[in-house]
Amino acid sequence: MSDTIGRFRLTRSAAAVAGAALIAAALGHARPALHAQPVGRPAATPDLEGTWDGTRRAHPINGPTIPWARSVPEGTMLPDGTLAGKNYVSNFPELNERALAFQKIFDEPLSPKYDCQPSTPPALEFDPFFMEVVQWPDRVLLRYEKDDQLRTVWLDGRQPSAHDYGIQGFSTGRYEGNALLVETSMYVFDVTGFDDYNGIPSSQQKKIKERYWRDGEQLKATVTVEDPMFLRRPASYTMRWLAAPKGYKLKPFDCDPEAARLSVQFIPPRYK
Amino acid sequence: MSVGLRSAAAAALLAAGWFAAAAPLAAHHSAAAAYDETKHVEAQGTVARVLVRNPHSWVFLESTDDKGQKIEWQIEMGGAPSMAWAKDGLPIGAVVKVAGHPSRAPGTHGITGATFAKADGTPIGPRAGRGETPQP
Repeated sequence: MSDTIGRFRLTRSAAAVAGAALIAAALGHARPALHAQPVGRPAATPDLEGTWDGTRRAHPINGPTIPWARSVPEGTMLPDGTLAGKNYVSNFPELNERALAFQKIFDEPLSPKYDCQPSTPPALEFDPFFMEVVQWPDRVLLRYEKDDQLRTVWLDGRQPSAHDYGIQGFSTGRYEGNALLVETSMYVFDVTGFDDYNGIPSSQQKKIKERYWRDGEQLKATVTVEDPMFLRRPASYTMRWLAAPKGYKLKPFDCDPEAARLSVQFIPPRYK
Repeated sequence: MSVGLRSAAAAALLAAGWFAAAAPLAAHHSAAAAYDETKHVEAQGTVARVLVRNPHSWVFLESTDDKGQKIEWQIEMGGAPSMAWAKDGLPIGAVVKVAGHPSRAPGTHGITGATFAKADGTPIGPRAGRGETPQP
């Protein structure tokens, strides 16, 4: 008796499993297979992950001469945390005539930051806030506290199409030795796209190359900007971040348009 | 409640040690377009509103000018993370003194690089006496 019941149960269980398999197979044909999102840094790649402190603790605050400087007094802290030597070499960009003409007519209220338009490279990296690096097998996510920006660096070989213009451009990357190399193009024209101090715009031909690497407990990056519309040759700076305090979570920036534009009234108008 | 908009020399003398302790601001952001960092201004007024925001916070003081006309001082401060002290330090209705760099456009009443003090001169804020550098 009990043996019969046991066999009956076994038969019902087998039928249920078979039925479930058939349903699963049918569903598999009916819609695309779902794949779990790959998570985690692949082995044998440099570990850049974490939350990084780019505030004044890590480097001097940005300004008209930082990080782009024609000269720096000996002993001054440089953006990468080292001290300037006697023979500092200017990294200020060599502007072409078009850029110089733009600088001449530049009117500060034009700056889109007064309407909360986000900062972009090569300025975004140096803004004195925290940032987070997340490394997945097919991409690296660069998340910035400043302006709540997220940049995705694709590692899977994809290339931008003509539809990929955007405020943060389109980034691809690869690992080389101990470093992550990132190349970004497809930027939209930005009237203050070089930085927000010097009245230098950037064009849709702007290209940013970044090299990120660990230097002990620091994260370092060399940021190079090319823009043949405005620069005679590429310009670059090297900077550092320090490890963020343990448990630090990026805070929302929530740029407020009222607070952002208020100071424009204090700028004497250049044009009517 | 009184307002003083003085020359740099007069302001430095009137504000005595409190003001003398203010560190010069490095050229920062595009502040130089909106504020004259070679000049100093001091004022006194009643805290009417405090906007703790990004990219910059603002403190609004109700005051009067030399002719007794009602004016509002608009004081540009750092971003939200640097303003935690303001809730207790600058309560609405409090009478405070402020010193900093004046706005450039004629007829405006803006200040940046500000230091605050109570009416009796007691410094207010974690960076009291050293100026408040706005974050970009």
